[in-house]
Amino acid sequence: MKKTLAILLTLCMVLSLGVAAFAEDKTDITMWCIATESDSNRASYEKAIAEVTAAHPEVNFTWEAFENQSYKEKIKMAASADEMPDIFFTWACAFLGDFVDAGRVYCLDDAYKAYEGQLSEAMMGNTTYDGKHYGVPTTMNIVGLFANMEILKANGYDEVPGTYEEFIACCDTLKANGVIPFGCSGKETWCVTEYLESIIEKSCGAQILNDIFAGRATWANDDVAAAVDTFQSLVNNEYFDPAGIALSNDEVKANFMAGKYAFYMNGTWNCADFAANPDLKGKVQVAEFPVINADKATLGQLIGGPSDTLAVAASANNPEVTANFCIDLGKAICHFGYLDGCGLPAWNVDYDASSVNELTQTVADICANANAYVLFGDTAMSANTANTYLDYVAMVYGCEVNGADFVAGLAADIG
Amino acid sequence: MKKMYSNKLNIFLFLVPGLILFVGVLVAPIIASGYFSFFDWNGIGEKVFIGFKNYKELFTSKPIGFLRALKNSLLLAGLSVCIQLPFCLWLALKLGKGIKGERFFLSVYFMPVLISTVVIGQLWLKIYNPDYGILNVLLRAVGLDSWAKIWLGTKETALGAVFIPTLWQYVGYHMLLMYAGIKSVPKDLREAAMLDGATDSQVNWFIVIPYIKPVLRVSVIFAITGSLKSFDLIYVLTNGGPLHSTEVPSTLMINMLFLRNRYGMGSTIAVLLIFLCFGFALLVGLIFKEEED
Amino acid sequence: MGQTLNDRNLSAKVRRYKAQNAAIYTALIIWAVINIFPIYWMFTFSLKDNTEIFGANVAGLPQHWLWSNYSRALATGQMGRYFLNSLIIAVATIIITLLAAVMATYALTRLVWKRRKTINKMFMLGLTIPIHAALLPIYITLSRTKMLNTYLGLIIPYSAFSLSMAILVCTSFMNDLPRELDEAACIDGCGTWGIFFKIILPLMKPATATVGIYTFLQCWNELMFANIFMSKDALKTLPVGIQALAGQYTTDWGPIGAALVVATFPTLLVYVFLSRKIQESFIAGAVKG
Repeated sequence: MKKTLAILLTLCMVLSLGVAAFAEDKTDITMWCIATESDSNRASYEKAIAEVTAAHPEVNFTWEAFENQSYKEKIKMAASADEMPDIFFTWACAFLGDFVDAGRVYCLDDAYKAYEGQLSEAMMGNTTYDGKHYGVPTTMNIVGLFANMEILKANGYDEVPGTYEEFIACCDTLKANGVIPFGCSGKETWCVTEYLESIIEKSCGAQILNDIFAGRATWANDDVAAAVDTFQSLVNNEYFDPAGIALSNDEVKANFMAGKYAFYMNGTWNCADFAANPDLKGKVQVAEFPVINADKATLGQLIGGPSDTLAVAASANNPEVTANFCIDLGKAICHFGYLDGCGLPAWNVDYDASSVNELTQTVADICANANAYVLFGDTAMSANTANTYLDYVAMVYGCEVNGADFVAGLAADIG
Repeated sequence: MKKMYSNKLNIFLFLVPGLILFVGVLVAPIIASGYFSFFDWNGIGEKVFIGFKNYKELFTSKPIGFLRALKNSLLLAGLSVCIQLPFCLWLALKLGKGIKGERFFLSVYFMPVLISTVVIGQLWLKIYNPDYGILNVLLRAVGLDSWAKIWLGTKETALGAVFIPTLWQYVGYHMLLMYAGIKSVPKDLREAAMLDGATDSQVNWFIVIPYIKPVLRVSVIFAITGSLKSFDLIYVLTNGGPLHSTEVPSTLMINMLFLRNRYGMGSTIAVLLIFLCFGFALLVGLIFKEEED
Repeated sequence: MGQTLNDRNLSAKVRRYKAQNAAIYTALIIWAVINIFPIYWMFTFSLKDNTEIFGANVAGLPQHWLWSNYSRALATGQMGRYFLNSLIIAVATIIITLLAAVMATYALTRLVWKRRKTINKMFMLGLTIPIHAALLPIYITLSRTKMLNTYLGLIIPYSAFSLSMAILVCTSFMNDLPRELDEAACIDGCGTWGIFFKIILPLMKPATATVGIYTFLQCWNELMFANIFMSKDALKTLPVGIQALAGQYTTDWGPIGAALVVATFPTLLVYVFLSRKIQESFIAGAVKG
């Protein structure tokens, strides 16, 4: 019995070795991501892929990029049917978490051993589940208050107002002079959260918002309700472009770049596009949203964090090779993405970064003084809860509910 | 002959390609959807059997708003039957009588049917664009500034703005069906009535319309099930927004499947949609049968 | 006296008739304009730059014919490739649908067996099933059979969803073929298959055009399956390509217009040339259906 087993085992080994030797000794790796040709990350992906594939001759690499919404549909279908690509782009926290729970993601702990000291634990927090690391963060981003300085100067402001009162006064001046202060896409509700979450955080503080998003605290909170009312008063005061509600974020962003709005609050990944546009040279500045209630909130409390992530599917044919490749690729995307201004680096910087555009450097300065981060609500919460939350945010923006209804509704539906 | 035609093997062989396609791609997956509808499942993780809970939640939960979505698609079906089809019938009657330029009108009216829905959607997005869309530009040009609206972004106008292209696109389709029916009305029937002194509208009402009843039945069934199934155009134009005001069951289903990761609930909507379509098709068939008796 | 009264009566009638006619024509022409204008507008803005589209010249002919919009639309993404993919898929779908439908119809109308009414009803129920109702089960089946990312992965579902309509149309055509033909062929020594291939199939030619158009419309427009079942850029279909391109040039309307025109005009051109034939076959299918 033992003998047959031994013979069988040896046979298997010889066979598999033989197959391995005969087969092309290249590993096929496919990747899906959202870096389409219009995405600001496209260039950094292309450069990173060229560099990493050259360094990994043992890998036969192919990749496809899809538009954001259809990517979400595709990757979920692929996960259901166990047809995942070997490497896939994902958002941190809940989005990746569902795949991890279902056992579809390869754990990177072993692969990370070779990269000790190059990536801080804090940057991996959003992709760590049960103490195990499942993701390779590329860049991190926060919400920034982008300002068109040309418009501000024409209306008597040389810099972005530093206090909330001055800020509101500035909006009133702009409005009186026929300039729309804010542009915000209502068709994509996440854009509204960029404003709303910043206002809640600067009114109530980072701690409570983090607790609510993580499910440790209830939505039923009077301070939050008051902050939501503050946001709504900006809408009711007609500071927002009414057309925004029917536009996509790309359209709103283009309007801002064309000088239709004075301010545009959105992720700092936009720095790359603003810096690369020759018409905007020196015109756009980025700032932190001012503190609304100094008793509870301080400057340095930011919305954002590392979310853009690459992960390796558990179904990859050669997970060790794929994991190494994926980490190298994520690191390279981080490198080139930072130099392009697509975000701040999640990985430690061991190269000359003096060429980074001014906007991104300003963001880096803001982050250097940060004392707390709250990750975007729709990334932090699970898909179902996040969409309930987004529904309520849309209702606030559409003035269907006020702050009290908002917190009461969310407390009833989510907790 | 009869014996030859009753050969079981041959019957089977002739049916096989169709049956494989039909059962493999329609019946089996729908049964699978029916099975999934009894589970709480995110599409990838563990399935938890919950019986009819999805169905109950769908009808009672206000945040999901299935009833609102259903109401929207029934409204679309109603508009389709009460406004679109009579208009198509009117066009078909006028063209079918044989007027100058019959061919031209027929061809032009059918054109939108041939254009891809995605193209129509993109085109109407541009028409409705609040700043540069042709609709608002025209309204402003004739001095009706106050009429210019954010058509797809306002709750009150969005549903109408989505329905108009949906109804518009298929006018040509139904018109051609009816036109075909009208053309097949025997000439002598028409002439006999004319000789008896019947007016045009009397001929239409008493001769033509009863004659083309089977076509009308098909049109009504297609209009209703088409409305219940409507998806592509709404997906491109508003994807159910703003504030779910243009949600229909299909968009809600996609929302459940892909945004909320509720595969069980998405399947529940799919199953209900199929039953609704069956139900209405049967109902329309019955109504037309009753009329005939 | 009576004569004049009659005349007056008649001329009043004629006048009323003329007025009515003019009203009808006006309505018909207005509706024709409503149908043509979007297409005209799409064509003109595909040749303009944003300053013209956004204000200077909204509805007129372009002042500078910007054909470069077309080269831009064709260069980003692969519109030509997408068009070819859509065409391949449509043609294959039409062929498969036709073959399966004609065979099934033969069994359902000519051959003699017990459950044929029931089976026919079952096929007819397919007319009402929404294509999105079974997305995941179909996806899983396709992935198990290794048909994802192949043309077949779209051709087979599209064929299945077109089958009911095709059988409906074919049934009406086949019922019109006299049964004496079968009997004569039978006496000449043809078997079931012989009758099918030599007599029935050639006579079903008019039905093919009708089925072809219905099937074409169904698969040429489909977005959801095409988006999810195809992950390789080289295999994308036209609707998916257009959606992607529209996302890419959100604010640059010229190239979007160009892509929309590229997607639309070939079909419209074919239609303009074959409209009589297409309408006739459509009519033939509809009346009997």
